[in-house]
Amino acid sequence: MTKLLDVKNLNVDFRTPLGRVHALRDINFSITKGKIVGIVGESGSGKSTVIWTITQLLAQNAIIKSGTANFNGMDLLKADKDTIRGIRGEKISMVFQDPMTSQAPVLTYGEQMNDIMYRKNKLSRQEKREKAIAMMRRVGIPDPESRIDQYPHQFSGGMRQRAGIAMSMLVEPSLLIADEPTTALDVTMEAQIIHLIRELQKETDTTIMVVSHNLGLIAELCDEVIIMYAGEILESGKIQEIYSNPSHPYTQALLACDPARENKKTRTLSVIPGDIPDLHVKPKGCVFVSRCELAVQNCHIERPKNHQISSSNHFAKCHLLDPKSTQAQTPTNPKKVTKTKVNSERFSHKDEIHLLNVKNIQVRFPIMTKLKAKLKGINKPYVDAVFNASLTLERGETLGLVGESGSGKTTLGRAILGLVRAKSGSVEYNGLDLCQLTSREFKPLRRNMSMMFQDPIGSLSPRQTVRSLMIEPFKIHGIDKNFDEEAKRLCDTVRLPENFLSRYPHELSGGQARRVGVARALALNPEFIIADEPTAGLDVSVQGEILNLMNDLQDEHGIAYLVISHNLPVVRHISDKLAIMYLGRLIETGDSAKIFDKPAHPYTEALVNGIPQPDPKKRRKLLSIEGEIPSLTNRPPGCEFHTRCKYVQKKCKFDPPSIKTLSDGREVLCHFPLEI
Amino acid sequence: MKIQKKKTKPSLPDIILPEKLVLFLRNPMGVLGLTLVLLIIISAVFAPLFATHNPFTMDIANRLAGPSFDNFLGTDQLGRDTYTRVLYGGRVALQVAAIGVSVSLVVGLTLGMIAGYGPLWLDNMLLLLFDAIRSFPTIVLALAAVALLGPSLSLVMTIVIITSIPGYARLARTSTLSIKNTEFILAEQSLGASMKRVLAIHIMPNVIGPLLILAAMDVPVVVTIEAGLSFLGLGVQPPTASWGTILNEGYLIIRTTPWIVIAGGIPLILTTLGFTFLGESLRDVFDPRLRKGK
Repeated sequence: MTKLLDVKNLNVDFRTPLGRVHALRDINFSITKGKIVGIVGESGSGKSTVIWTITQLLAQNAIIKSGTANFNGMDLLKADKDTIRGIRGEKISMVFQDPMTSQAPVLTYGEQMNDIMYRKNKLSRQEKREKAIAMMRRVGIPDPESRIDQYPHQFSGGMRQRAGIAMSMLVEPSLLIADEPTTALDVTMEAQIIHLIRELQKETDTTIMVVSHNLGLIAELCDEVIIMYAGEILESGKIQEIYSNPSHPYTQALLACDPARENKKTRTLSVIPGDIPDLHVKPKGCVFVSRCELAVQNCHIERPKNHQISSSNHFAKCHLLDPKSTQAQTPTNPKKVTKTKVNSERFSHKDEIHLLNVKNIQVRFPIMTKLKAKLKGINKPYVDAVFNASLTLERGETLGLVGESGSGKTTLGRAILGLVRAKSGSVEYNGLDLCQLTSREFKPLRRNMSMMFQDPIGSLSPRQTVRSLMIEPFKIHGIDKNFDEEAKRLCDTVRLPENFLSRYPHELSGGQARRVGVARALALNPEFIIADEPTAGLDVSVQGEILNLMNDLQDEHGIAYLVISHNLPVVRHISDKLAIMYLGRLIETGDSAKIFDKPAHPYTEALVNGIPQPDPKKRRKLLSIEGEIPSLTNRPPGCEFHTRCKYVQKKCKFDPPSIKTLSDGREVLCHFPLEI
Repeated sequence: MKIQKKKTKPSLPDIILPEKLVLFLRNPMGVLGLTLVLLIIISAVFAPLFATHNPFTMDIANRLAGPSFDNFLGTDQLGRDTYTRVLYGGRVALQVAAIGVSVSLVVGLTLGMIAGYGPLWLDNMLLLLFDAIRSFPTIVLALAAVALLGPSLSLVMTIVIITSIPGYARLARTSTLSIKNTEFILAEQSLGASMKRVLAIHIMPNVIGPLLILAAMDVPVVVTIEAGLSFLGLGVQPPTASWGTILNEGYLIIRTTPWIVIAGGIPLILTTLGFTFLGESLRDVFDPRLRKGK
């Protein structure tokens, strides 16, 4: 067991106009040859800074105060520029988070890969090309001989990430660093990439370092794991040990937060209250103390030491683990922070009229002008982003709308609110067809419905204070109230401290900005809210807070939610009903618990099985779904899912299926629904 | 609640403004630019206080005198004090610049935002209009207008305003287009906000920054246009003092008495440098993306 990389006593500061940020403090870890090591942490924990430090790619304002990074007997931090460049191209290579921005858009893959091998002088151009083709075939890119001459924009997201992996493996590195390799991808693609990385590792015996905030991904992929928080390593060790016996309170809390751990609809999730500490000040005691449930006096004063736990290399940095300490006790799982709501009397009176009844709605986007289409001889110059979707929403109910990216779920949500014009179909709200209204007639109705947008900070007008953002709905609808009181009331409702009212959006964290978004949506007491990816861009520890808040508000005000998400574990927790979308069609709708329990559509089954489990014992052996979502401009004939379906039969390829209603009331768009 | 215990940061103006100010003051070019601009504005606004003579009083006996304690910059061919006339000339220059730039900024911003946010046909029509105006060379347009309407200060201003509107409008339109499809605008639409409200409250504050910087850098351009037209005898009419007319008068006798041209030229150079430095350092401070690599 030789150490490939040994980082000791690493301290990194950043100079900023507001003073020094102590980004990394006392980082010690080592990576054993031939292992997959994961670094986990929330945003701002310094996990990327570690990578940039050892590859000497830090920004100009960074100062490495102390430390060594021993890589094959050489200190990476002291290496001169040429040496480190040689190492970066030859020994260490990287896979980046967003394949869209990390590949040169004006060079073909062939040229890019040729460039990568420029140090291999012995190989001829032809040999390099063959090598590149072989590698592309290895990572599962079909027909590599011709696709190698294509540009990145001609590849789909998943294929691009495969090509990114191919490029990084091309130089046969001894260390591969993957920075959030699946974050930009869908669940189904994520599973495929995990599978690919695992296989490649087995074949080539490369050492891999994976950086991620996704506990499921780490559990599926890694042998060892390092938990980081606010620039320090809090716990490290073998994956099985950490997941089965988390020793640091932070690790325990983090694992408890992951919605994928619970398979039931709980409606309340664990959270870690508070925020990551301000790193302008060097923490005196433990960094986690401000959010720790078990903190004792000593935690505030003294820096905790690394303590060994049970086996060889399982360490955690916590006072509570000190055997000599008087408070010696094993930290136990923290209590669930939020109480379970007893008052679960949901507003479920079944009215004759649905609150929202969407019937056969179709949204069509033109992709070129009519004239251009005529000249090019294309008779369908448009794409149907939503195709005959029907769904109903009752008062006080939560409907989860799920699908891969590009399935049209966001468009459907926007079409319901009239932000995108529907081509045909109707959206009935309390029996009134919204599609027939002019925007002037629609405006008063907008009080009763609102939308939360994906990007918590980006959906707030950047030059407005929180106060003016919150009272804006009143102003728009000409409601004369005491604005100060209203702002305070809303702050109270979304549990945001009142002194935040004078802040601007960029001064808020993701979770706080999301609260402002919720407050705006709630301002006029709407009957339903469309929440587009309410937890996107939020850390695991915070997403629970937002979901719990939404749930409490539903209990209090009887609001109906349409939650649009690709995050199945989250949807499972909050939805009463579920609608699964594929290529703009709803392929399965019905009771959420039943769908998760026994999916009827093969696609639903694949999605449910595709959730990475944060449990290293439950690693999947088989891929749940092959291939990628087809292009909207080129819909497959017959059942549109047949190109990826495991159970595909002859009939599926020609005959479009119609909606079947199953015995338990679910509706499925499939010729051969799975046995339920 | 845990969050409430968190110490609050000072609000935006407390933090951001001093930081930007410090950044600005650290830039020697910026400080130099600001000093020059203040100097020129003060000298123009308080011209009667600093003047040593009446700008129109002729003293034929003392014509074309060299610099002396009585006449700091000498006298012109009618014996008028050049120093005083330069001070008063600054009033004309800044008046044209202030009115010209601010009116074209407001009109350009409004039209640009409407073009960017409004329907496509309106956008196309406005763009056509902007491009049509831009296709006229400023000086030639001015010559034609003067030939038709006769020279005057208000005509100079009108020409300046009309020709600089498209520049602001184009910039405002592009910035508006880039934020038109962001989520926060969509969020406002979902609340039912009217177009007027979206433009005035949510788009305007986000597009005005670069426009103001452009305006600061446009001031010397406008000043030069005014001086140029006056020099050609198409702008300010004698006996009103303007840097352009001073230059014109001095140009005829440049071989014998060069200081009149120097006296008329230096304020033009200082204005151009001052506003350009100021504009550039403002841009560096508020829009770091445009800064050249350091």
